[in-house]
Amino acid sequence: MNSQWRLGIAIGLVVAVLAAAIYFPILKRRVKKQAQVQQKSEEQARLELVQSLNAATNEPKVKAQLFWAADAEYSDLVANTVELPLSNDPVLRSKQVLNTLLAGPVDSELRTLPPDAALLAFYILPDGTAVADFSDAMANSIPSGVQSEQFAVDSITRTLEANVPQVRRLRILIHGQAVETLAGHLDLTGTFPVSTKPVPPASAPAGVPATK
Amino acid sequence: MLDPAHGGTDPGARGSAGIREADIVLELTAQVRHGLESQGFQVLQTRSGNENPSFDDRSALANAQTGAIFVSLHVSSTGLSGTVRVYTMADMPLPSTTGGLIPWDQAQASYLPLSRKLGDTVQGELTQRFKGSPMNVQSAYVRQLRTTAAPAIAVELSSVAMEDKADLDRMLPGVADAIVRGIVTFRPSYVTPGMPGNAPGAKP
Repeated sequence: MNSQWRLGIAIGLVVAVLAAAIYFPILKRRVKKQAQVQQKSEEQARLELVQSLNAATNEPKVKAQLFWAADAEYSDLVANTVELPLSNDPVLRSKQVLNTLLAGPVDSELRTLPPDAALLAFYILPDGTAVADFSDAMANSIPSGVQSEQFAVDSITRTLEANVPQVRRLRILIHGQAVETLAGHLDLTGTFPVSTKPVPPASAPAGVPATK
Repeated sequence: MLDPAHGGTDPGARGSAGIREADIVLELTAQVRHGLESQGFQVLQTRSGNENPSFDDRSALANAQTGAIFVSLHVSSTGLSGTVRVYTMADMPLPSTTGGLIPWDQAQASYLPLSRKLGDTVQGELTQRFKGSPMNVQSAYVRQLRTTAAPAIAVELSSVAMEDKADLDRMLPGVADAIVRGIVTFRPSYVTPGMPGNAPGAKP
């Protein structure tokens, strides 16, 4: 190998090292920024919870029904009556009851949804199909199994049925994506039935006004 | 068709004592297989080792058989330890068939009545052996069952949360025996339109 070749290779190596030195901090910043965006979206969801609950503080309190496990063995789901200031708007009302469901019961053994899961988005299509988008923790932190996954979905659909009559069926997304199963068992490719009862007039949402 | 769930990179439910659903269901499959073969059934498995075929691949194996019965085996993370639950697919609308073809995504729909009959029979056998188990089959949106064109059930033991794997191992012979007896009881009622009087699953 002549000296010109050696010089060329040496220059090439120096250029490569310099390029790496310049690009590495940029790459590091991009990765950090991406992580912050993801964290922010979950933070936004939590902030929305607080805002949605605050937004409804002027609303009269109603007796909402939330469904958690009857016991630590998951023998059944039971309705728990909780007084909440719920909005009359079906989307906001759905977010309020689902966020309360996610917050969980006092006894953590009775919870049906992972404590670190967050509702990222919720909307209702004109035909009554609701779409609930949960954070990754909904799929990653839930105990795997037919029973536990079905309990999780049942607790969501029965809570919506009891409090938001406009919701007819539910589609669940995980972090904005359609996924095949919740945690290896339960089918998330379709919709879950919520209610087939007639929708009451807009001025009469579900929930019994709480007596003071 | 026996379906030991999970496998490969997917261990399924995992307990704090190191119990893995994918391993337990493979052991259970071997015991159920032995019992069914001794009753004259031809038995196939969706997996025999530590691999993880897709849901569709597993259903495709069953759907290629005539007169198959599909049993998917699971161990849960929850539930009263020492109990067993049987699931069938939740209600599905009956598919509109085109040229005799059934939509893949709704393959289970027309088999639901037979699946429930099979499920109740197997659950009855299990409840006799494992106190605290439900009296009747449960329905759930089990992904594996939806695309299976055969009477299909999922059997789920509780649970990987047991502190000693030996306790779970002791359940397996009873669970296997209950499944075999349930299938033997169900067999005469399994007559599909295309094969009147046949005894599906039996060797010719």
